[in-house]
Amino acid sequence: MTISKGKRRPGARGSSTEARYYEVFGRTSSHDALTHLGSVEAPNPDLAQVRAWYIYDQHEWREMCVAPTDAFVPMGRAAQHTTIKAV
Amino acid sequence: MTLADELLCVADTKLVMGNWLAETVMNGRSLPDYAAMLGMCTTSFGQTRALYQFLAPGYEAYSRLERGRDRDEICSMNLLDAPPRNWEDQVLTIWLAERATWTMMSGFLDHPDRRVAALARKIGEEAYFHLKYASGWFRLLVEEDESRAALEQVYDARLPLAADWFGPTDLEDPLHAAGERAVTPEQLRTSFLVDVAVELKSFGMVASAALTPPSGDWRDDARRRGPLPEGLFEVIRFKDPALAH
Repeated sequence: MTISKGKRRPGARGSSTEARYYEVFGRTSSHDALTHLGSVEAPNPDLAQVRAWYIYDQHEWREMCVAPTDAFVPMGRAAQHTTIKAV
Repeated sequence: MTLADELLCVADTKLVMGNWLAETVMNGRSLPDYAAMLGMCTTSFGQTRALYQFLAPGYEAYSRLERGRDRDEICSMNLLDAPPRNWEDQVLTIWLAERATWTMMSGFLDHPDRRVAALARKIGEEAYFHLKYASGWFRLLVEEDESRAALEQVYDARLPLAADWFGPTDLEDPLHAAGERAVTPEQLRTSFLVDVAVELKSFGMVASAALTPPSGDWRDDARRRGPLPEGLFEVIRFKDPALAH
């Protein structure tokens, strides 16, 4: 097997291996609101999904999704102090 | 090969895979990684248990399957006989084993016995996250020169063992002939190799290992060559059957 070269080293700034936080959401039935379950740290979306799936397995989720924490835009007067928290 | 033989081969392979994950969990790269590996470990054991229960309903028959067999009766794939040499080997081998077993079970998705079809579907659902775990790691490993080289090395060694699990290409398939399996193992093998090549290509890898069959006589009812190695049997065997209940 040969693998194409020229990729960055893991951990390099901007590399896909740089760990990020992902927020995890789920709902157990289509009648429920999508609920914030918590967060996971992962170097890419694939590992974020797997880690979320096995860590937040307290219910049989009908739907589950993750989103990068830095994709959330704090708003309003308290924006500077906003922290995403599990409910 | 009967349907029971085929399902036992998958069940025993999942048993060994679960043990691989249990033995190597402390090599995980972080606490969330341990959790993911343990999750995959328990789902692998869960699949083994579900298949054993289907194959051997009742306490005695189940007990014999789970903890009453010797190493020459265990039908796991040869791919998992040798322990992983490094992290790259661990990720790639689990991925190949998972992809191979799911490919095999996908042949039973339309099985006339709905219980068999349901088992196949459930194994497929759980395989989704097991495969995604490996995908996530491949994305990381190909970025590092040393890991890339290690991946190349283990791929060349492991792929022939994974492909061999589908059996010699000239064998008749009674399950396909009886309408129990949608396609033949030979077609499943081709599909497996195409899927492997396509997925690796998406990570920037070009798969080109020689598929030389390993040595030893093929045991059709066990989908393997030779007995399980003693060292591996010592790891997976039920240590104290008297305590089981």
